[in-house]
Amino acid sequence: MQDLLYFFQQLINGLTIGSTYALIAIGYTMVYGIIGMINFAHGEIYMIGAYTALIAITGLATLGITWLPIVLLVALICAVIVSSSMGWAVERVAYRPVRGRHRLIPLISAIGMSIFLQNYVHLAQGSRNIGFPALIEGGFQLGSEDTFPLSISYIQITIFITTLICMTALSTFIARSRTGRACRAVSQDLGMASLLGIDTNRIISATFVIGAALAAVAGLLLGMYYGSVDPLFGFIAGLKAFTAAVLGGIGSIPGAMLGGLILGVAESMTSGYLSGEYKDVVSFGLLILILLFKPTGLLGKPEVEKI
Amino acid sequence: MKMSVKKLATAVGTSVALMAAGQAAAEIKIGVAGPMTGPVAQYGDMQFAGTRMAIERINAQGGVMGEELVAVEMDDACDPKQAVTVANRMVNEGVKFVVGHLCSSSTQPASDIYYDEGILMVTPAATSPAITERGYDTVFRTIGLDSMQGPAAANYIAAQGPERVAIVHDKQQYGEGIATAVRDTLEDKGVDIAMFEGITAGDKDFSSLVTKIKQADVDYVYYGGYHPELGLILRQARQANVDATFMGPEGVGNDGITSIAGEAAEGLLVTLPPAFDQKAENQELAEAFAEKGEDPSGPFVLTSYAAVQVIADGIEMAESTDPFEVADALRSGTFETPIGTIEYDEDGDMESFEFVVYEWHADGSKTVAK
Repeated sequence: MQDLLYFFQQLINGLTIGSTYALIAIGYTMVYGIIGMINFAHGEIYMIGAYTALIAITGLATLGITWLPIVLLVALICAVIVSSSMGWAVERVAYRPVRGRHRLIPLISAIGMSIFLQNYVHLAQGSRNIGFPALIEGGFQLGSEDTFPLSISYIQITIFITTLICMTALSTFIARSRTGRACRAVSQDLGMASLLGIDTNRIISATFVIGAALAAVAGLLLGMYYGSVDPLFGFIAGLKAFTAAVLGGIGSIPGAMLGGLILGVAESMTSGYLSGEYKDVVSFGLLILILLFKPTGLLGKPEVEKI
Repeated sequence: MKMSVKKLATAVGTSVALMAAGQAAAEIKIGVAGPMTGPVAQYGDMQFAGTRMAIERINAQGGVMGEELVAVEMDDACDPKQAVTVANRMVNEGVKFVVGHLCSSSTQPASDIYYDEGILMVTPAATSPAITERGYDTVFRTIGLDSMQGPAAANYIAAQGPERVAIVHDKQQYGEGIATAVRDTLEDKGVDIAMFEGITAGDKDFSSLVTKIKQADVDYVYYGGYHPELGLILRQARQANVDATFMGPEGVGNDGITSIAGEAAEGLLVTLPPAFDQKAENQELAEAFAEKGEDPSGPFVLTSYAAVQVIADGIEMAESTDPFEVADALRSGTFETPIGTIEYDEDGDMESFEFVVYEWHADGSKTVAK
């Protein structure tokens, strides 16, 4: 019985972390789906989102505003605005000028941007880990056996619900709205879409902005969940999210969600039953396995060479 | 008029150059290598505060053999790769004496270069026994070893009569080394080790680990590593209602843990070098730090001060700035420093070094644990 509770507790841990991987992975997968490049600066956008939220929360606290819904809302809005403008600016400065060139060029430009943003935050905010206030504390106890309680914290619930809302909203947006339809058109054939009168530059910018906004949401949630931020933590999270995107099938939005959840659960089960040391071995090993048998990822469509 | 201005400029230029050359001849460079940036930069601040004060005071008393000490400070970010680059730059700068590095994992690769190039090195903070085990005769410390600190922590835990203990480490040289020392001592004393597990430094999510600790139902958790990870583990553990007592080495004992863990830091046990700044004989020195607006209470401030001082005293004793002669002098002499009387054994380790168990509080203060 206790073993079962232990399993469910690790499952909850895994799903929580997996849903945030999914939120970040959306940014990678959408950009790849549309212009076929990997935006390596995306992890940094997420990190900047977390920092902005922290600054907003600290700012509100000095003003004496501590009413939770207001604090969360303001932090969220600030993070989303700053990250989205950052996402937009990165595309404008680093990717648009080199779009359409050899594939390696935007890739290198992206890595450069990632290094630049990391070091910019190093300079602006210092290189130390900064504590992030745990705004949402406490949780439910779902069951208990001996000394081991199965519990789910309010912040975990918040993470699930927020991810679910964001994913549903995004899917609806892509499937139903005019911009969403244009996104799909650009993703299928950029040249043709532009011939048909779609402002492709605007659509590509929109993709970056949407991805960055979701990363900012993840930044705020994970900052609260983990408890600290540092200028390098976007890199690792970005790497994991990128893995999730590839695992699920890069270019596919449901794939990113699935990939994120699988990765999160695989990680927490490995640390739960094997050892934390093997966490990354198992998650990246899983990636290699899936790519060996299904090179396009779990939900990816076979890629038609566009360039 | 034009001409004379030019002449004047040349004259000034020449004299400045001459002055610089004159000064260069009468100075001894002390390399100071430690983290100015990176996750453990707090410790670097302690190190640089200590060495700056030591150099300033030694120079104020007429320097070493009439020559001034000059610091050459470099940032290794506690990164083994960057430490090697820093070590090579020290060589190029013509430095013969280095105070550093700070993290064991960056000290070890740097010490290879210093040894090859005949540079004397005194680390004020690296506690891994492996550093002085290789027979390098120019490597010294002003700090104890993990093989002293680990047992000190383990003895404390064992004395509390715990049923089960969990040991976690960050897989780095320092963290895993000290965690292993703690485990071995506890096993010798017959304490049940429920788990011994590594995490990845830089990770943020410890929910799985915390669940595991909860299931293992332990009384004590010993963590070998640094504060950024322990801070998060503490916080996530308290949120999951883990009530075990946590303990860590001096690598977790700084204000960073308070900033990350907040309330969860209350009751954390830390083994630290004794509070040298509280000693009566160091009162005047502690005041000098306070006058500069610096805090002498960090675990590595006075060990760094002592590192500069043993180098200076060693040079005086050897009456030479040859690193090998100074190394021989260090091994044969005894040195009075703010961290007590230092005597070195053949390996370059201090004959004795005491660690004290402190209890950390949520406001960042610490008291000696009972």
